[in-house]
Amino acid sequence: MTDEEKEALAKRIWHNLSDTVYGMAAHDMSRAALRTRASMEHLFILITMGDLLGIPILPPYYSLRLLPYVVPQIATWKRRMLREKDVADAMFG
Amino acid sequence: MNTLWIVVIGVITIYVAYNFYAKRIDRDVIQADPKRATPARMYMDGVDFMPTSRNVLFGYHFKAIAAAGPIVGPITAANLWGWSPALAWLVLGVSFIGWVSDYSAIMVAVRNDGNSLSAIAHRLIAPRTRTILFVFIFFYLMLLAGAFIGILAAILSARPDVPFGIVVLALMGLLAGQMMYRWKLSIVGVTALVVTLTLVGMAAGPWGQHRDDKGALVNGPVAAVVASLNSSVDSINDHKALFTVVDPTAADPRIPAPGKDGKRVSTPAYDAETGLLKTLPNYLLWLVFLFGFSYMGANLPIWRFAQPVAYIGFWVMLITILLSAVGMVVAPLLDTKDAAGNLIGQFALPALKDMGFTVQEGKAWQPLWPMLFVTIACGAISGWHALVGSVGTARQLEYETDALPVGAGGMLGENTLALLSLTAVSIAGAGGGGGRFAQGVGKLVYAGSFGATPEIFGTALGFGTFVVIVLTVTQLVFRVMRVTLTEWVGDLIPPVRNMHVSSVISMGLTLALVLTGTWVYLWQMFGASNQLMAALSLIVVSVWLRSEKRSPAYAVVPMVFMYITTLAATIVTARNLYVTIAANPEMSGLPVAGAWAMIGVSVLLFIAALMIGWDGYKAYMRYGQTPAAPVPPSVATRQA
Repeated sequence: MTDEEKEALAKRIWHNLSDTVYGMAAHDMSRAALRTRASMEHLFILITMGDLLGIPILPPYYSLRLLPYVVPQIATWKRRMLREKDVADAMFG
Repeated sequence: MNTLWIVVIGVITIYVAYNFYAKRIDRDVIQADPKRATPARMYMDGVDFMPTSRNVLFGYHFKAIAAAGPIVGPITAANLWGWSPALAWLVLGVSFIGWVSDYSAIMVAVRNDGNSLSAIAHRLIAPRTRTILFVFIFFYLMLLAGAFIGILAAILSARPDVPFGIVVLALMGLLAGQMMYRWKLSIVGVTALVVTLTLVGMAAGPWGQHRDDKGALVNGPVAAVVASLNSSVDSINDHKALFTVVDPTAADPRIPAPGKDGKRVSTPAYDAETGLLKTLPNYLLWLVFLFGFSYMGANLPIWRFAQPVAYIGFWVMLITILLSAVGMVVAPLLDTKDAAGNLIGQFALPALKDMGFTVQEGKAWQPLWPMLFVTIACGAISGWHALVGSVGTARQLEYETDALPVGAGGMLGENTLALLSLTAVSIAGAGGGGGRFAQGVGKLVYAGSFGATPEIFGTALGFGTFVVIVLTVTQLVFRVMRVTLTEWVGDLIPPVRNMHVSSVISMGLTLALVLTGTWVYLWQMFGASNQLMAALSLIVVSVWLRSEKRSPAYAVVPMVFMYITTLAATIVTARNLYVTIAANPEMSGLPVAGAWAMIGVSVLLFIAALMIGWDGYKAYMRYGQTPAAPVPPSVATRQA
């Protein structure tokens, strides 16, 4: 094994180890933070763009103003809003 | 037997089970394909469905499944039957059943749009199966919470050197949440501060503890304050018991270990002559403390308390496990001795005790089969893993081929924690239940740190780790219980939709179970429901395999074994409850009411399991004749 290969192996081991420790220690924390942010953003999009899902909302003047900012999230927003939820989801909520 | 052999056995088990069995099933039966899109990639929403590195996911899955089960189960089982049956079940169980359950639950969810097991059961088995599973899961969680809270309260009541560390942990949890999320401080600095202070808090409990000239234990200043508090609370009832119970297995941590003459001594909570366990007011105090702790975890925003506590707990657990693992290896090699001059690496517990098959009228019956297989409720196989894996892990798999290292690897990793626990409890010569485990950890930490950590602080670390792991899960369980209760009866009884009302109801029901007083029955009932949950998840997996025309044998055989074993264990535990408490003329009041409540729960779980089993059997036979309906494209896919 050359020195470069040894170095690459050591880096890979260190990378895998740090990923695993991160997974044990903090992955659920970052997921919870993401979930909190997504819940608030998705609620906001629901209020302003609910008609995209067939939910009647107030005249869409502000919706049009906000639309460019919301467009990147519409696909994931629809998936999350319309997905069937289960009691088991509460384990990670 | 010495600790090094356990390490060797663990390494060989993992290597053989993973490389020669798990990989083969993954390749030939499931046919995991890295090119097939997983739910995480198909339905990526940046939150629940999110492709994640398999190393991160392995850590996440391991942390989610490695709760108190792999620690408490081997402790109790080794105490009842000796260490060799526990070791055999841990090794064989994880090799042929444990990884099968974890891996398959993940894969069945991955191949079914990332749906939960109950949603898959609704589609594949019968609509009512989902409802029955909801009911089953609620009572399963109640038993889990009761078993965990019960043993914690007993430890806090029996050991005045432990509570201070837990109070510090609660305060550090609040502080860490505030520092990380409100003050936006660096996570490295916050971690160093709160973990160090928590460890100091745990070490402060036994600090100054020593034995007097007669050999009696004298508390240090912190433990003395806690003991004084206990005594003050007990004086409310003139130091008399509120009620008494019996623990025929002596697994309750309040029962002292036998002395050198084999006899136990009386303590304020235990009468050695009659064998009665006294429920003193201070036990209720610690119950209230634990419910308060769990209430905060279940109802405060998750970042405020539950999550930071779990985060601190992880580091405490990691330090303990690493030091203990090193201790397991070096103690026999260096012939390290403890303070009493005994070799730390040698097992002190008998390899085999009474196998318990003889039935004695009026006494508890603890036959090796089926009770061993539910007493070790985790480490060999667990239903909790199937729940976590199908909902949390399956939705984050980037490639199907990651399911094996994450699911099977996580389970095999958890098995090593159970082996560590078995080792710790087997090398400690004295103490009961959690106390014996903590003493074993104290010895291993002493050896693992090459004598730098005195046994007394190692033991404190052992107690702290034990309590932290159990509490971390308990607060999560109450969080799930209140949501499950709301889903279940929220429409019929609107006030239950309020999270405080549903939390109080969940805790009230759990308290009623804990007050039966006989912790071991509660644990075994939880173990039976936990293993039954695993069997039910294997039913879903078997039906799915059949519907897909894949060979189901690798899942059907463990499913049948676990299904029959756990139903039998439920009957045995109900019988023990009836004989030793409900129909015991010396028992009256709350313990009898609690015993009847637990018998009622066991009947309910038994019927629910029979119904799911029957529905599963019909579905299994149905799919033998016709293929399954194709998975309906999810609403989300259509809309997107």
